[in-house]
Amino acid sequence: MADRRRINGPPGGTRPPVFASLQESSTGIANRAQRQRQPAELRKIFLKTGLIPTASGSSYLEFEPSVSLAAARSNPKSLIPPSSALKLACTVHGPKPLPRSAAFSPNLVLTTHVKYAPFAARKRKGHIRDASERDLGVHLETALRGAIIAERWPKSGLDITITIIEAEDDRWWGDAPDSHDASWGMMNVLAGCITAASAAIADAHIDCLDLVSGGVAALVSDDSNQSASSAPRLMLDIDPAEHRSILSACVVAYMPARDEITELWLKGDSSRAALEKDDGRTGHEALIDGAVDAARGANTVLAEAVRESIARSFA
Amino acid sequence: MASLPPIAIPGQRLGPLSTYSAGPGTHVQQSFIYASIAGPVVADPAQPKSQTRPTLRVSRVISSKDQAGLTSAVPVASSTTSKPRYNTLPAVDSIVLARVTRVQKRQATVSILVVLDESASQPQDQARTASDNDNVASILASAANPENHSSTDELRFQALIRKEDVRAVEKDRVVMDEMFRVGDIVRGSVISLGDQSFYYITTARNDLGVVMARMSRGRSPDRSENMQLFELGPSPCVAFGVLFE
Repeated sequence: MADRRRINGPPGGTRPPVFASLQESSTGIANRAQRQRQPAELRKIFLKTGLIPTASGSSYLEFEPSVSLAAARSNPKSLIPPSSALKLACTVHGPKPLPRSAAFSPNLVLTTHVKYAPFAARKRKGHIRDASERDLGVHLETALRGAIIAERWPKSGLDITITIIEAEDDRWWGDAPDSHDASWGMMNVLAGCITAASAAIADAHIDCLDLVSGGVAALVSDDSNQSASSAPRLMLDIDPAEHRSILSACVVAYMPARDEITELWLKGDSSRAALEKDDGRTGHEALIDGAVDAARGANTVLAEAVRESIARSFA
Repeated sequence: MASLPPIAIPGQRLGPLSTYSAGPGTHVQQSFIYASIAGPVVADPAQPKSQTRPTLRVSRVISSKDQAGLTSAVPVASSTTSKPRYNTLPAVDSIVLARVTRVQKRQATVSILVVLDESASQPQDQARTASDNDNVASILASAANPENHSSTDELRFQALIRKEDVRAVEKDRVVMDEMFRVGDIVRGSVISLGDQSFYYITTARNDLGVVMARMSRGRSPDRSENMQLFELGPSPCVAFGVLFE
């Protein structure tokens, strides 16, 4: 059913054509971004709360752009950015009364909405939430529900709305789709959503068991070595544009003070991980441990942002 | 006894349950008290005669007492003062300010504007910060403005004042139309969480009742009208203001 009240863009979205000859040319515009970080090194996170005055709590989160993206921004050689860095804004409205039609609830009723801005990804997103956005909303709700003390807020609802201003790529933009493709960027987006929502909830003074933060780890096959023997290696906080093939990825929502996971999302084949010789873990155990480590790292930023928000509001 | 942190963030361990008891803004896990909201940590001393332990709580709104401890603890403080947030839910016995939205024969419907902080109503905490008072005043001023009436009611908790909860004496001779008018600001006490949509409020106490009312449009604000309005309150009022158009 076409939306006839708005002037819509083409339904499939638009992308400028990229010719194979352009990518093969040595002008350097189509250089694949390379990971400059150590395997266990996370990207820097910018997180600030209380930016939206009409909401009872809000936060803004941004990941550090990769080296190639930063270089391309300062000295653009092409209109196409080499990679993207996550930017999102989260608002918390409530606790507010439930709608008149709703049944009595002794607990806080949590509603989460995740929406990509139309310009967030390389392919234009519509105004109506699509399946992946609803999926992210459900994952986020599970992650937060385990952390919120819902019985302290009877008869009330809490709306959490996240707008993704810049999404992560699922793969390098110049790559043709292949069998290893999956929505890897979505996992980074979810991790960012969890961390930002947790900061916004703390900003709104909703009772929580702990600050819950998101982290991503992935098994990536080595770019330089294309031989079949090269086993995939574990990397934390991957930027999918920097890797040729991601075999599996895992995102967790983790509460460090209690050492509990409230949300776990594992994707892909994790059976062929290259671990240390004396490492008895299976691939997916290593993957989950890596994601928890990444979440621990994000939590240090989160705790500092919440402290800042308190210092600001009680100043 | 380990010293308490000046500011807690959710999930931060505050102290063992053997030394303290858990108050608002905290939760207990494995016999330790953890903060559940971010804010300044306050240890309320135990009552001397009873055997209880001091109560740990994490404060939601700042009082002058907390402020003193906080300014020394937080070196950097931006000059922008944000509004204190009243996101406390109405609970039984909490004092609320509400605006009358509908008056019926047996009950009046009100929408709750502010849940007054219980610590602020205690006599030793009478000196609230100036911004605190300003905030209540600004909420009331905007709420009393008829232009704002219908727009934000969806976002507020609704409550009922039943005919028999209006005053303590002569309950059977209460006429709701003479007690409340749409737009009046009422100070009430919550008696029940009620059903899925309404809380229940009483005004049957000396410090409760209509605290602010507005003359109807187009009538001259003379002295007799003023007195008339004063009598409209269901019980003697603690404070009373009339806004003339």
